[in-house]
Amino acid sequence: MSLGNLASVGYFLPELTVTATILLLILMHVVTKSPRSNAFGFLSLVGVGAAILLSGIVPAGAGKSIFEGMAAYDGFAVFFKVLTALATLVVIFMTMDSREMDGRSQAEYYIFLLSTLLGMFLLSSATDIVMLYLSLELVSIPSYLLAGYFKGRERSTEAAMKYVVFGATASGVMIYGFSFLFGLTGTTQIAEIGRSLAAGKATLPMLLASVMVAVGFGYKIAAVPFHMWSPDVYEGAPTPATAFFSVGPKAAGFAVLVRFYYTVFAAPDPGSALWRLTSAVDWPLLFAALSAVTMTVGNLVAVKQDNVKRLLAYSSIAHAGYMLMGFVLLSPAGLKAILFYLVVYLFMNLGAFYVVILVSNATNGGEDISDFAGLGSRAPFAAVSLAVFLFALTGIPPFSGFIGKVYLFAEVINRGVYWLVVVAGLNSVVALYYYARIVRSMFLDEPTDTAAIAVPGVPRAMLLLMVAPTLILGVYWEPVARIASDSIRMIAF
Amino acid sequence: MMTLEKFLVISAALFCCGLYTVMTRRNGVAVLMGVELILNSANINFVAFSHFLSRVMGGQIFAVFVIVLAAAEAAVALAIFLRLFATTGTVEVDTADQLRG
Amino acid sequence: MVSGILDGLWLVPALPLLGVVLNGILALFVERPLLLPAAGPPSAAAGHGHGASYRTLVAFIAPGVVGAAFVVALLCVLSLAAAPPEGRIFVQVLFPWIQAGAFTAPVAFQLDPLSSVMALVVTGVGFLIHVYSVGYMSHERAFARYFVYLNLFMFAMLILVLADNYLLMFVGWEGVGLCSYLLIGFWYEKQSAADAGKKAFVVNRVGDFGFLLAMFLIFWTFGSVSYTEVFAKAPLLSGDGTLTTGLATAITLLMFLGAAGKSAQIPLYVWLPDAMEGPTPVSALIHAATMVTAGVYMIARSSALFLLAPDTMMVVAVIGAATAIFSATIGICQTDIKRVLAYSTVSQLGYMFLACGVGAFTAGIFHLTTHAFFKALLFLGSGSVIHALSGEQDMRKMGGLKKRVPVTFLTMFAATLAIAGIPGFSGFFSKDEILWKSFSSSMGSPVLWVVAAAAAGITAFYMFRLVFLTFFGTSRMDPEVEKHVHESPWTMTLPLSILAVLSVIGGFLGIPAVLGGAFGVPNLFEGWLEPVFRRAAPAAAHAAEEAAHHSAALEIGLMALSVGIALFGIGLAYFLYRARTEKPDEIARKWPTVYGVVFHKYYIDEFYEWAVVRRVVRGADWLWQMFDARFIDGIVDGAADIVRSAGDRIRRLQGGIVGGYAFSLLAGAVLLVGYILYRSIVQ
Repeated sequence: MSLGNLASVGYFLPELTVTATILLLILMHVVTKSPRSNAFGFLSLVGVGAAILLSGIVPAGAGKSIFEGMAAYDGFAVFFKVLTALATLVVIFMTMDSREMDGRSQAEYYIFLLSTLLGMFLLSSATDIVMLYLSLELVSIPSYLLAGYFKGRERSTEAAMKYVVFGATASGVMIYGFSFLFGLTGTTQIAEIGRSLAAGKATLPMLLASVMVAVGFGYKIAAVPFHMWSPDVYEGAPTPATAFFSVGPKAAGFAVLVRFYYTVFAAPDPGSALWRLTSAVDWPLLFAALSAVTMTVGNLVAVKQDNVKRLLAYSSIAHAGYMLMGFVLLSPAGLKAILFYLVVYLFMNLGAFYVVILVSNATNGGEDISDFAGLGSRAPFAAVSLAVFLFALTGIPPFSGFIGKVYLFAEVINRGVYWLVVVAGLNSVVALYYYARIVRSMFLDEPTDTAAIAVPGVPRAMLLLMVAPTLILGVYWEPVARIASDSIRMIAF
Repeated sequence: MMTLEKFLVISAALFCCGLYTVMTRRNGVAVLMGVELILNSANINFVAFSHFLSRVMGGQIFAVFVIVLAAAEAAVALAIFLRLFATTGTVEVDTADQLRG
Repeated sequence: MVSGILDGLWLVPALPLLGVVLNGILALFVERPLLLPAAGPPSAAAGHGHGASYRTLVAFIAPGVVGAAFVVALLCVLSLAAAPPEGRIFVQVLFPWIQAGAFTAPVAFQLDPLSSVMALVVTGVGFLIHVYSVGYMSHERAFARYFVYLNLFMFAMLILVLADNYLLMFVGWEGVGLCSYLLIGFWYEKQSAADAGKKAFVVNRVGDFGFLLAMFLIFWTFGSVSYTEVFAKAPLLSGDGTLTTGLATAITLLMFLGAAGKSAQIPLYVWLPDAMEGPTPVSALIHAATMVTAGVYMIARSSALFLLAPDTMMVVAVIGAATAIFSATIGICQTDIKRVLAYSTVSQLGYMFLACGVGAFTAGIFHLTTHAFFKALLFLGSGSVIHALSGEQDMRKMGGLKKRVPVTFLTMFAATLAIAGIPGFSGFFSKDEILWKSFSSSMGSPVLWVVAAAAAGITAFYMFRLVFLTFFGTSRMDPEVEKHVHESPWTMTLPLSILAVLSVIGGFLGIPAVLGGAFGVPNLFEGWLEPVFRRAAPAAAHAAEEAAHHSAALEIGLMALSVGIALFGIGLAYFLYRARTEKPDEIARKWPTVYGVVFHKYYIDEFYEWAVVRRVVRGADWLWQMFDARFIDGIVDGAADIVRSAGDRIRRLQGGIVGGYAFSLLAGAVLLVGYILYRSIVQ
């Protein structure tokens, strides 16, 4: 039974906190004379921190449908709220440490960042396609602005332009798909749509509509061939924003993908067939192909990159491909693997971007692999940290990325989709090649400038805070794996 | 007699026109118009379905939301194109190709 | 089952870990910026300037956490001792760690008499050495980094000894290896130190490989890696024929390979003398008192398995005895004070293995304990000498230090008496126990006794040689060095004194029955450990005890004989290095070949270089030429080319023009739609 609007407010505290913080930021921006002040960053930190705490302590339960069925309050939503808010928190620290942002107005930046966070909160809990569309746009629109935040910089503007054209088109295709879903089922509730499908109303237009919806989600998680925007946007955007895009909106995209398809297409009793209507569409094959193509394109093109930001962009496309492996069978174990991988990915990817920012600070905006030469002697701590993150991204034991991949691979092996495992294995080898290139440059190449790079206390601590889980989750992952599987179980219908 | 099918055909045509515009037009503002066409094709569907089939207001409301969001999106997109014009002196989208590969 | 204070067992390893975290924060955030060249001229600022306050903090935290761990461990052991002998085993499961099908390994700690002895030795001696380090490393710039490693070592070592299964033990095993590597190479700017660290690392990997294989075999055989389960199942499985003698031999030999690597036994001992490149307190803690004894602990812990494999036992005993005498002879000719002690350590570890090999596990652990006291003391004392002489390690440039560093002299002299086996000192009791067991045990033999007794004589000789050269006679020091000779600060002499007391009286914990029995003094140590080894293998251990029943007169006679041999060694040392100091050079001249061979450590390092390192390099080179360069590289290069060109082609699709991007989106959508239409038509 869904709760009414007033009764739902108690389950909406994190969202309200973020909203209040955004309003405060706007107010502060209006009254203050120094938009460059770090105070905006600190205020955002407090707001996001409070939202994380509130996500953890709001009344738990078996899951509730709130706001007249518009959104869900369940473990799944809480999981993604905490995850995306954590990513935002780290990105705020990154922004304050990044020299790119020096001398620019900070206020709007944080307003956009927190608006995106609000959108991600809503996206991970949306259970109605109206809500889903609204929150998807709430994630997208501030993201366009974040990408183009450097007004004077041509590349930044170009990134924003490509982002907005691509994003608007993708969401247009998606909404066109939604219109058919609505027309064929007469409802905007995801669960209702699922029930109509179960009742045998699956018609060809309906399946076509579902595929068009997948275009919108594919754009959000940057799956090939809907990935074209992401390398350009990642390269042109401010680096902290790039780090943010690669984790936050991607995680939220996976949240909505999983929730939508799990609610609509998962078979009610997960026996042999986990997808509904596999007779009409071979969903596992479709998504396995998507996964394989995504990881292969991501990894292959990454090999040819010299710009580290662009390299990490392609690497994050490849990682979306790995994560889609868990989606292929729509089984609880596979979805759990995605959730677990997202946690691992959060730390290793943000950590890698953090080091990129530190290097860029020290080399006057350098982002090429050659700028990392000799980092091992110039800033040993940062270099070793980056090596840890890169090895984890490759999936080498004993780092956390390995365990994440084990979970993803295990489910696919269990269900006998061996060819996908082979493809993923080959991809990991290719990935090792380009990650190792950076490591080699850091430790073997002679730097042009040998002066030591001082890493101040805050980024040092943040790096440590991201290295620690990357290492610890490689040897002791049980609690996080349990949280991930609990979050899947609590998904509300 | 207006039937549901006629609305669907119109919306499909509009959708295709929109996609075609987005892909082929070089002028940024024209590309935006293409996006508007796509969104409005969806709106026609929503309203038509709502009117002919389910007799619920959901579709109409959805259409209103889409219009609002389209406006927001257009505002942001136009701001970005203005910025593009300020830095490169043109709003032709294919002149912006520094980022590639 | 007992509990109460024992529930705090997890604190024992956790406290040093806390030290790692706290000191790590200080090292990373306070010390490291000071060490950067950008921070200004070195040492002056970092050493005693504004950075000094964090050093005080480190100096309190690092020994403090280890001291606290010792107190907790002591309380736990006391509480364990309150239980009846059969109930003295406590397992604390902290959390499940790995659960994969049938394979489960929790993070769990086991406190029983054996692990409690180890835990007390590790934390107790470790605490003293931490205190000593505060003084010894006071001029070191990377002060906090040093203590991070040292605390990390304590953590890993305690995991190793307290683990309740082989996998967790292996984690500690690798952890101590890592810390050893880090600490040997602590002064990594020095090429020899970095090389020594690498050598230790590589040699230990050989051993670890054996341990790992042994662990797989254990899991394969017993379906578990937990001590309790494995040892409980061992007699049953050997009864029903699942665990054949051959299998047991394979498992135990592989374990022994691991032990030989960690505990520097023939043929894997070569890394330990080089490990002396590390700071001296590290040599005392890791390469004398604790880590190198891990192999002995592992064998004693697995006694239930070893007793099922008589062949392995024989190998262990023979290797132990051979190592004991072999490295003792090398010790005779060494001139570097720390290298003498290093070879002495290898030799003493040989004794412990000899004890294990003849089934006298108690004696082995007893010697491990007393050795921890006196060898740590010897190393710390040598460190104090080196400290006094501004870094001089060559005994030929010492002499006459007796009066200049009296505390160091007295304490080291006590330790020397102990290691030489002078009655009344700790080494006498433990070494004599081993000698007697190697003679009397059903697995022993008079030959082993002769070898071990001879090694004891040589030990007495080279240890007194060391004392005479260092402390007696006239000074051979550089005048410049001599001016600065000073006794060490209290942080260094206090641990020396405590260890000296322990070295003197530690032996009374295990008075052999033949001496103490008459006065009604029990062998406390044997009584404490007995349940462990009886539980492990009731029948076999009993057989070892009872089979050879010899008269008390024989035991006392042999004891007197071995003391006589030791006294002879001391006398010879006095004759050569006090009375007729020209003699040693004369001997060296008269038998240049013998002297040269021994002086060059039997050319073992050169042999390894020739037989292993160069062969491996050449073989690898050949393989590389034939296989890698032509075949594999062909494939790899080909694959890499394909990858690169594919990457390049796909990359060109990303043309940078947004209209193309929109097209790809549409193409994707059309593909999906086309697929669904196709499916619906096919159906």
